[in-house]
Amino acid sequence: MDSRSEFQDLVHKHLNSLYNYALVLARQDAEDLLQESLVRAWEAFHAFDRSQSFKPWAFTIMRNAQIDRQRRRRAHPADAPLGDEKEAEPVVESPLCSIPLAPEDILLRREAVEQVREAIRHLPPLLREIVELRDIEGLSYHEIATILSRPVGTVMSRLYRGRNLLRTYLVEPPQRPDGKEIGVRNDGL
Amino acid sequence: MMDCSTAKSKIFPFVDGELTPELRDQLEAHLARCGACRRLVDLEVAFRETYVERLRPDPAPEPVREGVATLLRGLGEGRRAGRGWRRVERLAVCAGAVLLLVVGLGAGIALQSYTGTRTSLAELADAAVEQHQKLVRDLLPPDIKDVSPKVAEEWFKKRLAFNVSLPELKTERLHFLGGRISHLREIEVAALEYRVDGNNVSLFIIPEEAYRQLRLNDKPRFKVVSHRGYDVVIWRSQGAGYTLVSEIGDRACLMCHAPEEKLEPLPRPSAHL
Repeated sequence: MDSRSEFQDLVHKHLNSLYNYALVLARQDAEDLLQESLVRAWEAFHAFDRSQSFKPWAFTIMRNAQIDRQRRRRAHPADAPLGDEKEAEPVVESPLCSIPLAPEDILLRREAVEQVREAIRHLPPLLREIVELRDIEGLSYHEIATILSRPVGTVMSRLYRGRNLLRTYLVEPPQRPDGKEIGVRNDGL
Repeated sequence: MMDCSTAKSKIFPFVDGELTPELRDQLEAHLARCGACRRLVDLEVAFRETYVERLRPDPAPEPVREGVATLLRGLGEGRRAGRGWRRVERLAVCAGAVLLLVVGLGAGIALQSYTGTRTSLAELADAAVEQHQKLVRDLLPPDIKDVSPKVAEEWFKKRLAFNVSLPELKTERLHFLGGRISHLREIEVAALEYRVDGNNVSLFIIPEEAYRQLRLNDKPRFKVVSHRGYDVVIWRSQGAGYTLVSEIGDRACLMCHAPEEKLEPLPRPSAHL
């Protein structure tokens, strides 16, 4: 198989993941970001280490592409999940006494998977990105740290906060400005 | 010896299989003697099995799939050679034959110096050329096509927060191919594709206030620049900014003007940016 066919197969195989990550990074601009990232990935594909996974490699390219786009835009608060956030928060060591890590209530209420998915979409961007990369894309802490260019400890800390906030959302759904709940049922169904 | 507080903070990486062997051993030792923490782990595992392991990425919509398929088919294809020379030839043949009038400006047309904004103009021209190439190669498929300019105009007006005014087709030599909402230097624009005598021409319309974001301080009323082998025409009219990219010199004027119109001579392109 030539490299072009190989690249095409990999993109088709991971297209949902690539599009999903583009949505996380760029929201309304996801399609443009996806296309730009694929062009970049193709241009760099000759250097892709076949012993590594394609998905985190492509995610890294996509994230860098989005950072470049934001730099060109010169600070756009609506798309702030990348790069400029406060850094190096310590790994939380003992916060669980006050945080509902135990998902017993959620299990008892048997939320639909789609409602959990919707709750993830409403996490703050920084936390959503890491929760998506870990819990939906199944990437390792190390792979996520590489994509984000952050220490593994930062990944763990944000994942911890994101997951706990997700569980909080499932127990007590976030509210829209109009007062309606966002996507998460709490009717016990 | 690990206490409950530390143990709880390790539950996520433990279930993720991300703890170091040493920490994993310590946590397992703690779990062996602490029913409360062990229960937390069991619940977390149940939560993963019930929900997390069934989560999947959002499926890419069909238009996105089609766009990617088109892009992948185009990968590896080199650019057509010799465009620059053909452009020069066409410019030489057409020079003086067809004239230009800026949409809605009439006698107000004037060239303005862009001293001090060269970089910004270069960036705008570069972004427009890049978008033009993607449009031509179908890397950016149209959102709307096979419609009249007026129908497309209405489509854009419903989706963009600024006035989009598309000229009617004044000659059979000009064909409107379609349009899409795209981005020039991260500014949302109406991107339009035309064909003139078999050549592609792209027109990008931006809100005039975007000039501030682009740092085009002199806001040129009309400017022709040559960039990467293309003619890039930048002008303003009625609250919108227009950027046209073509390879066909003065014939691009047919975008807005009938062949029989008397137009002022097209200014010579500025030096290559």
